[in-house]
Amino acid sequence: MINALIGPVWLHRLIFLGVALVLTFVRLLPLQTTAGHLPGPDLLLCLIFAWMVRRPEYLSALMIGVVILAEDILLMRPPGLWTALVLIGAEFIRARSALTRELNFGVEWLLVAGVIFGVFFANRTILDMAFVNQPAFGFSLLQIIWSVAAYPVVVALSRYGLDLYKPAMGQIDAFGRRM
Amino acid sequence: MAKPRTYNSEDFSRPLRRVLVGFSVVLFLALFVLWRIDSPRVERFRMALIDKVVPSFAWAMAPVTKLSTMVDNFQSYGRLYEQNQQLREELQQMKAWKEAALQLEQKNARLLDLNNVRLDPMLTHVTGVVLTDSGSPFRQSVLLNVGTRDGIQDGWATMDGIGLVGRISGVGNRTSRVILLTDSSSRIPVIVQPSDQKAVLSGDNSMLPPLDFLEHPDQIQPGDRVVSTGDGNVFPAGLLVGQVAMGADKRLRVVLAANYERLEFLRVLRSYASAPITDTGALLVPLPPRPLPAGVQGPLVPAAGLPPAAPPEGAGTALESTASPAVPDGTTGARSD
Repeated sequence: MINALIGPVWLHRLIFLGVALVLTFVRLLPLQTTAGHLPGPDLLLCLIFAWMVRRPEYLSALMIGVVILAEDILLMRPPGLWTALVLIGAEFIRARSALTRELNFGVEWLLVAGVIFGVFFANRTILDMAFVNQPAFGFSLLQIIWSVAAYPVVVALSRYGLDLYKPAMGQIDAFGRRM
Repeated sequence: MAKPRTYNSEDFSRPLRRVLVGFSVVLFLALFVLWRIDSPRVERFRMALIDKVVPSFAWAMAPVTKLSTMVDNFQSYGRLYEQNQQLREELQQMKAWKEAALQLEQKNARLLDLNNVRLDPMLTHVTGVVLTDSGSPFRQSVLLNVGTRDGIQDGWATMDGIGLVGRISGVGNRTSRVILLTDSSSRIPVIVQPSDQKAVLSGDNSMLPPLDFLEHPDQIQPGDRVVSTGDGNVFPAGLLVGQVAMGADKRLRVVLAANYERLEFLRVLRSYASAPITDTGALLVPLPPRPLPAGVQGPLVPAAGLPPAAPPEGAGTALESTASPAVPDGTTGARSD
């Protein structure tokens, strides 16, 4: 019903905003106040990249920027840097959407893992160059490895939960336009 | 070659889009550089934003947090018998301690009464509820629901019922952030008690923060009490921090007294800075004698060339001889005309 009212693009944008809100909300709940927990995956990062491979038109660059910047600010990260790097990574994948359409999942996973690692190392390098105090390397690498491992789960949830798939070549949408 | 019209418009919008994306990336990077250059200002902005956003979600956060702690508690029903035995044992020990504490309290009250001690009325506390944690495994902080409207200031100490938890760093109108002692940017001056050695408790993102800058580590036993000091006017002195323990890496670490598993209500201690001493202090000397009005004959002053008649009274006569030349011309005398 909402789909008919605002169209599939805006419906999915609203879903994305809602999921991002819930993810941040859950992370902020004061449940783990003891130190030394192993970091879990960065699900929002996986979500952005998974959607960007499947339906780049659902995620506008502005929306990604605002959501990640809000996360930066709420989670006490250095504001702006992670946002810029994730945005560059997302645009890198968007620019290759013609290519990724043809790829099977294994290769897509490799590509996304490469982008995640690139974003992570760029972040560490720039923070090191700016002499910002950082957590231990292995400790934060663990989060990135977790994120790469969690990527197929996020893809499966988007595919079977939200019916988000890569459009086949020559597929048309409800208005008869080519996708 | 009949392409749909929408594709033509995309040909124009694509380069424009690229420029806009590039522009926003530069903008985000500029924000990062600004944060690096002028961190306090950006952190104040961050605190103001959190202050606006987070309390509006408190209605949703409180029930979810409550529910998950209830689930946690429910899981502990499995070990009910075991816990019951343990609690009985502890209760026996606690009864002995309670008796000792009551006696000490009475003694303390009597002594305070005898000495007519007034506790500082400024040393009170504000209790806040924990709204959120840092949300990241790399940082250890919590957000409280008290802020500048409750008079909270940066740097104040925060305790749970028993021990020190952290210090306020970042105050909004309705919220304030507490950097926990376990955070890797936390540094607190402490003193280890029986040996009275000063040290710095530096958090390293583990549950047992290490003691740094100890002068004689060999004089310290595991189990020694660690309390805060007032060094550097950072903290009120004498707050319990925890006990010394030997870590697995042979470093002296501190088992924190506060219960970090359940940070729900925290006390923020109001600690106002004591009046600073700025000058080196003046000598307490009697006022110099008032000079006599002109025309009145004073006591006989020996002439400059003559030696003083009584050498043992050298100090007194020297004072007289230096003060008396000022009288005739009246330059240094406190004359009211």
